[in-house]
Amino acid sequence: MSSQIHHIHQQLMNKEITCTSLVQEKLDGLKQNTNNTVNTLLDTMALDLAAKVDAKIANGETIGLLEGIPFGIKDVYMLQGTYTTASSDLLKNYKSAYTATAIQKLLDAGAIPLVKENCDSFGHGSSSENTIFGAVKNAINPDLVGGGSSGGSAVNVAKDYTVFSIGGDTGGSVRQPAGYNNVYGLKPTYGRISRYGLMAYASSTDCVGPIAKSIEDIRIVLNVMSGKDIKDQTSYACAEISQEAISSSETIKTVGYFKNFIETDAIDTKIKSDFLETIEKIKAKGIQVKALDFFESETLVSTYYTLAMAETASNLSRLDGTNYGNRIESDNLKETYAVTRSENFSEETKRRIVGGNQVLSQGFSDEIYLKGLALRDNISENFENDFNEVDIIISPVTPSTPPKIGDSLKNPHAMYLSDAYTVGFSLGQLPTLTIPQGTTTGLQITAAKHNDELVLKFANFLKDTI
Amino acid sequence: MSKIMTVDVLSSIKGAQPSEAVNKLFEVIKNANTTNNNAFNNHNNALSLNDLREDLVVDSSEIEKQIIIENFPKEKNGYLVVSKVIEE
Repeated sequence: MSSQIHHIHQQLMNKEITCTSLVQEKLDGLKQNTNNTVNTLLDTMALDLAAKVDAKIANGETIGLLEGIPFGIKDVYMLQGTYTTASSDLLKNYKSAYTATAIQKLLDAGAIPLVKENCDSFGHGSSSENTIFGAVKNAINPDLVGGGSSGGSAVNVAKDYTVFSIGGDTGGSVRQPAGYNNVYGLKPTYGRISRYGLMAYASSTDCVGPIAKSIEDIRIVLNVMSGKDIKDQTSYACAEISQEAISSSETIKTVGYFKNFIETDAIDTKIKSDFLETIEKIKAKGIQVKALDFFESETLVSTYYTLAMAETASNLSRLDGTNYGNRIESDNLKETYAVTRSENFSEETKRRIVGGNQVLSQGFSDEIYLKGLALRDNISENFENDFNEVDIIISPVTPSTPPKIGDSLKNPHAMYLSDAYTVGFSLGQLPTLTIPQGTTTGLQITAAKHNDELVLKFANFLKDTI
Repeated sequence: MSKIMTVDVLSSIKGAQPSEAVNKLFEVIKNANTTNNNAFNNHNNALSLNDLREDLVVDSSEIEKQIIIENFPKEKNGYLVVSKVIEE
């Protein structure tokens, strides 16, 4: 599909539609939707902003490309004055005091926020069932999960309730729901977009990521949000990616894939055969394809979850009901902390906090946490060597099709393993895009660190090739 | 006071126990082979000390202060109420 942003921009400029009618139509869609994608509707704010855009157009002023474009925000981003619940009981009445840098940049460009979107609580999940707002239902088949943790965001884009949405990806939370709902979802290079104002899950892999229906819309939104921010010391300055720069794929000569992702019983047979068919189509275009060695899925998943749990135990230790959150008073301070956290965190969040404290405690940290860090180094080195051999790595997004609602909660270990194809790229901090092509749950395109441009370029090539 | 703290105390979560699903992950790490076991070689997350932001106090806006107070869980006669302080 071509760019919705360009299309709507033209319609607004040509006065074929008003921004108010556009925003109202999207709000109506969100309000009536039965997929459980909405935590808070920002109707008053959105309609006020739309009226301003209409006034500008009526005055004959030119508007920017993103001006008046309605978008959604995963409910883990701060937007001043709006509820930011992280889909949790603990923060169900918490109001953002300030605005996240990535979101502020979109507001500065004139984009209009419509909705805070349902997701797994604190990003803890792969299905968007771990939420107080009801399980997010898949856009294609509502009996299936919407994916997670940015499930509400991916479903809203797929259903055209938002033109684009901003998800958050720590271990696959943008790419997997994008794959489950047949839309594009990008996890940029770690640090390309500031994390300031994104509620921290695992700080060393947390990434802000756009979800949209075209590569061009991903490019536009990525450019606006990218860049150095003094409020996030891990962010870095980067050049804008131009439309021309990603239109030709001539520089891509070699593509790799991890053979152990494919040569396993854990992969769905259809996903496997579709993936291999895609490889053949790429070869037919004269591109060399190399089968690469990689770490076992279990090692990748275990390394990721060990480090992510350690980081989330630390990040969520601040949530004790003292300064904000749903405090439940008890006999003394310690009891108040314990009761507040026990009553307000979901089972999955508690599981991860406890796991994190386990690996960080004396006696476990050397054997598990420090070894996990060493494994992460090995994984990164492996990637560095691979990108000396190939320009791009492609992989399926998930080993299986989306599970039925209710199944993931019954078996957390199986849910962790379902992230096998996404978590490695998070540990490597590499730019990776899900495209809605190649297999039922899409394909991931990965390039070396900081080479987000090459990812979009190859996505454009595949759009016309497969 | 005992030096051994259980995960429920460490996590401030009543009755918390290590879970089987998570322990399975840790077993994989214990049994994995690494080419080096020295986590101090970690080169992924280091930041340059030459590029730190200025250490300046920036006053919050009025609206920010107002929302922070609004988020406070308990208020009495114009004061923000915290729990009883630990006596031990």
